[in-house]
This record gives sequence, C-alpha cells and structure tokens, in this order.
Amino acid sequence: MNQSISTRLITIFPIVVFACLFAYLGLSSSNFLSLGTFELILKQAVPTVIVSLGLATVVIAGGDDVVAGGIDLSIPATAIICAAIVADQMTNGGHSLIYAMTLAFGAAAIIGAVNAFLVVGIRMTPLLATLSMSVAIVGVTKVITSSRRIGVTDESILFIRDGKLFGIAASVVLTAVLVVIFYHALHRTRWGMNMQATGGSRDAAEISGILTRRFVFQSFLIAAFAGWIASVFVLARGSGSSPGTEESLLLEMVLATFLGAAFSPRRVVTLWGAVLGAIVVSALSVGFISIGVNVFWTGCIKGALILLVVASAAVTTKGRS
Amino acid sequence: MTLKSVFARFGLLVIIVMFFAFFSFSSNVFLTFDNQLNIVEASAIVLILALGMTLVVAMGGIDLSIGIAFDFGAAFAVVALKDFGIAWYLACLIGIMGGALIGLLNAFLIVKLKISPFMATLGTFFVGSSVERVFTNGGGPISFRRMPQEYRDLAVGDVFGIPTEVVIAAVVLIVYFVLLERSIFGKRIHAIGLQTDAANVADIPVRRYMFIAFILASATCAIGGLIGSANIRMFTPLAGFSYLLDAIAAVFIGAAIHPKGRPNVLGTLVGVLFLGMIGNGLNLMGLDFNLKAALSGLILVGTLTLAVAQQRFR
Repeated sequence: MNQSISTRLITIFPIVVFACLFAYLGLSSSNFLSLGTFELILKQAVPTVIVSLGLATVVIAGGDDVVAGGIDLSIPATAIICAAIVADQMTNGGHSLIYAMTLAFGAAAIIGAVNAFLVVGIRMTPLLATLSMSVAIVGVTKVITSSRRIGVTDESILFIRDGKLFGIAASVVLTAVLVVIFYHALHRTRWGMNMQATGGSRDAAEISGILTRRFVFQSFLIAAFAGWIASVFVLARGSGSSPGTEESLLLEMVLATFLGAAFSPRRVVTLWGAVLGAIVVSALSVGFISIGVNVFWTGCIKGALILLVVASAAVTTKGRS
Repeated sequence: MTLKSVFARFGLLVIIVMFFAFFSFSSNVFLTFDNQLNIVEASAIVLILALGMTLVVAMGGIDLSIGIAFDFGAAFAVVALKDFGIAWYLACLIGIMGGALIGLLNAFLIVKLKISPFMATLGTFFVGSSVERVFTNGGGPISFRRMPQEYRDLAVGDVFGIPTEVVIAAVVLIVYFVLLERSIFGKRIHAIGLQTDAANVADIPVRRYMFIAFILASATCAIGGLIGSANIRMFTPLAGFSYLLDAIAAVFIGAAIHPKGRPNVLGTLVGVLFLGMIGNGLNLMGLDFNLKAALSGLILVGTLTLAVAQQRFR
C-alpha cells in the first residue's frame, strides 16, 4: 500500500464534491436543510430507487463493463407498460387492483424472460438486447394506452401517493422495506454470494462450480420484477399512467446506478450505491430548483457530475495498477 | 451445405427478402419506382449517422451522442446563416466543425481520461442536450425561413434528377467504404476493435486512431444535421436523438450479414435500407400510429435476435 496523497485525494474526490455541493445548497437556501425538504427528496426518488435496484442487480451479476457486461435499459419501459396495463384494466376495464397487477406481473415476467433469453440464450449484447426491447415495449404501451393519459383513483394507489406509515410517507417506507429485502438477498444469502461471484469474475465463478448462466438469467428476471414493483409508484406519483415518462426514468436510473459506484471504495456498482445515487440525484434536482438555478442547466450539471465520477474512478484504477 | 450453414450465412437476408415480398403483395404502391426512391431518400440521414456509428463500433466503442453531434451541426449552420449571414458553404463547414466539437469532447474523455465510451458519450449526451436547452431557452426551435436556396437545396434539390441528400449520403458512403474497408486506416481501426492489446503491440498508435475516429464520426453526423435543418428550414433541439437506435440497430444488422460478423459499411447500408423499408411498408399498410410503433419495435427485436442467432451458428 504505497498510495500517494494525490491518489487518495482523487479517491475521495467525488464525495468531497458532493459534500461541497450540498453545503452550498444548504447555505444558499434556508429551506433546503429542513425535514420537509428531505422527505420530498426521498419521495421524488422512489421510482428511480426501485428501478436502480433492478439495474444494480443486473450489473452485479453480469459485471460492470457497460457494453459486454450486464446492463438492462428496459426496466423503465417495463415499469411504464405495467403502469399502463394496471391503469387500463382498472379505469377502462373496471377490474380490481389485484387482477390488474397480476396481468402486469405476467407482462413483466415475459419481458424479463425474453431479455434473459436474448442475453443468455443467444448471447446478444445486453445493451443492444435491452435497448431494442425497450423500444418494442414502449411501442406496445402506445397500443395499450393509445398514447393517452389514463387516470387512476384506486384507494390503495392514492394511499401510496399521500398516505403515511409511522409518520413517514408510505411510499418511502415501502421502498425502504424493498431495499432491505434486496440487500438481504444479495448480501446475506448463499444465492446472493453466488450472484456476486458471477459478476466479479465469470471464469473464476464457473471454475468454482457456479452455474453462471443461471444467475445472469435470474438477474434479468429480477430486473423485470423491479420494473413491475416500480409501476405501482409510477402510478401513484402521476395519479395514473402518462405516456413518455420512461425516458426521464431511464436517464435517472443509469445516472443514479453508475453515480452510486462513486460511493463504493472499489468504485463498483452496489445496491447501496444505487440507492444513494438516486437520492443524490433527486436532492440535486430539488436543491437546484430551490436556489433558482435554470432548470435547463440541471442536465448539464448531472452530466458533468457523472463524467467527474467515472473519470476519477478511471484515474483511481490507473493509479493502482 | 447443410440447412444450418445456409441459415448461418443467409438467414437474415432471407427474412429481408420475405419482408420485401410481403410489402409488395400487401400494397400495390410499394414496388413503384417513386416509392422505392422515397425509401432511399428517407434513409439518407439515418445512413449518414449509421456510418459514423459503424466507424466507432468497428473500433470496439459505441457513441450515444451522435444525436447531439447531429443537433450541433444543424445549430451551428443555422445560426451562422441567420445571425451572421455568411455564405452557405461556409455555414456547412461551420456546422461540421460544430459537430466535430462533440467528437473532440468524446475523444478527450475516452482517450485522455480513459472513461469507457458508453459512459463518456452518455455524459456528453447529458451535457450536450442541456446546452441545447439553455441555448434555445428550453427547447424552442430556431427557424430561418429565408435561408439561401443553395443551403435549402441540400435537402430538397437534386443533382441530375437524383435528390441531393441521396447524393450526399452516397458520397459519404463511398468515402467510408474506401476509408474503412479498403485502406490501411480501416484495417487498423478493425484491428483495434478486434484486439486492442494486439494492436498496441503491433505498434499501431491506438490512442491517436481513437481520437481521430471519434471526431470523424461526430463530424459525419453533423452532415446529417445540415440536411435535416435544410429540410425543415430550422434547427430543432434534441431532434437527433430519434436516430440513435436506428443507427445502432443498422450497424448490428450489418454486422450479422458479414461473413465474420464484423461491423462493415455495406452491411450498415443494408441495415439502414431494411429499417427504411419496414417503416415505409408499415406506413403503406395504413396502420394506426400506435400499432405501427409497436410492430416496428417488435420487428426490430425479432430481426436483431435472428441476426445474433445467425452469428452463433457459425
């Protein structure tokens, strides 16, 4: 361990930048550091957190090379089509929430299975497979909704939007539970360890007798499952299904998940990183609005941040080797 | 030749021919010369962007910011024409340089900072689209109705009866074919894409080649932007994004019909024309807009599945 000071500085650089940013936001806006704002930030982050859990799982199982490793860009589209199916079945079809959610689950399962088949079965590049799947899903969603907004007034959905559990917003509590379940499954079980090994080094995992193909297959099913869960919160946030929401969700998901790598010591995608990344992205959006930064600049700042993080990650690995 | 080896070599081509036959039967307009010309004309811009993408993918990278380069090409040229009133050919040059700026940023991030092409070009996409929003105050188009006829002719004029945009695309196609498939430069680009380490050992200046390739790809996409802006006589922010997936898909369809499964210029041409044909054919069937979106998406997944499966059989 002969790390020079400059290498160490670069290692903690992203965290320092974020700390400074938040300190600045806190100083310039009196409301930013209040409990109310914090809850708002968490509530805004909910759908992104859930889809990022799915993406993080795929990356953990597939390895973090974005082109050759694991990536699933179809999770937001899955969330949107599930939301569309539920809204359509309930509002236009008059069916119950349970029935509608079951149908949506079927759709998500099919999407997950097709993704997994494309990647594991015929070894298509995950990036290409899930990107084209995303286009197809968005197309089918248009057929379901005729590109129109479908409102939902179901009580359970409204409860997730407005309700409180233990004095905290219900959506935040439910998401926290989901995060804990994901964490337990991936970090505290034999199954999760095998999955991490698969992504860490495919060859080493295979030599140790892990059926790596099965784990990659499962990771895409889990990603689709995350999309299905996220659909409930997408419905709650928009009080129904609206066309064209998948694009911003996609950008936020990729940003949050890979930004999260900055918070891990080894600069790899982790569950906690993804969750934290989603919250940071949401906090930045809320923060910039509260100090009156032109909304059009936020994309630029987010883009610059992600470049900063991956650049410092690249420099860190270079310094080590 | 067994059935399997025939499929491995020609499976996708058979599917393309089948779609062609199907559309010919389902609509009596499809096969007419005018409609075939429509397909070619509608594919011109996609082809130009897809060629830029072919170069990057052949080198083992990916460029998610081709849409931004397209937009910058359009924006720089339109602003140069409108606010500075300079000659149309200088405006074209400025547009191409505007696109090259995006390539320069990508090249800097990827070659100097060693960020992976996916993340780097994604970051460029974020930054670029934000800059476009700020510049246009939220995404309103910059329109210039009285642009010089010569510039406008880039999209609506013709050379000896052939639409100018088709001529431009054909020229770009030939340049790329020579560059990528018939020159030392191209051989080295393919070498870098196949085995970067081996290319390094063989003393190919990998970093310089990557630098040049990313700039070249973005500059090419800017040419597409010029045609796009000439066609509608305005610069529309974020218009380039819609070409991204078609360009990627065309490159991979093209790679699938190559004997060795490599991205290549002629394959990309086939891929682009195939996508153009699907869009045109579905339009002629008079389908509902939403249904058309779903069908073309599903056909895309199906085609790519076949394309990749075909490679695996080899």
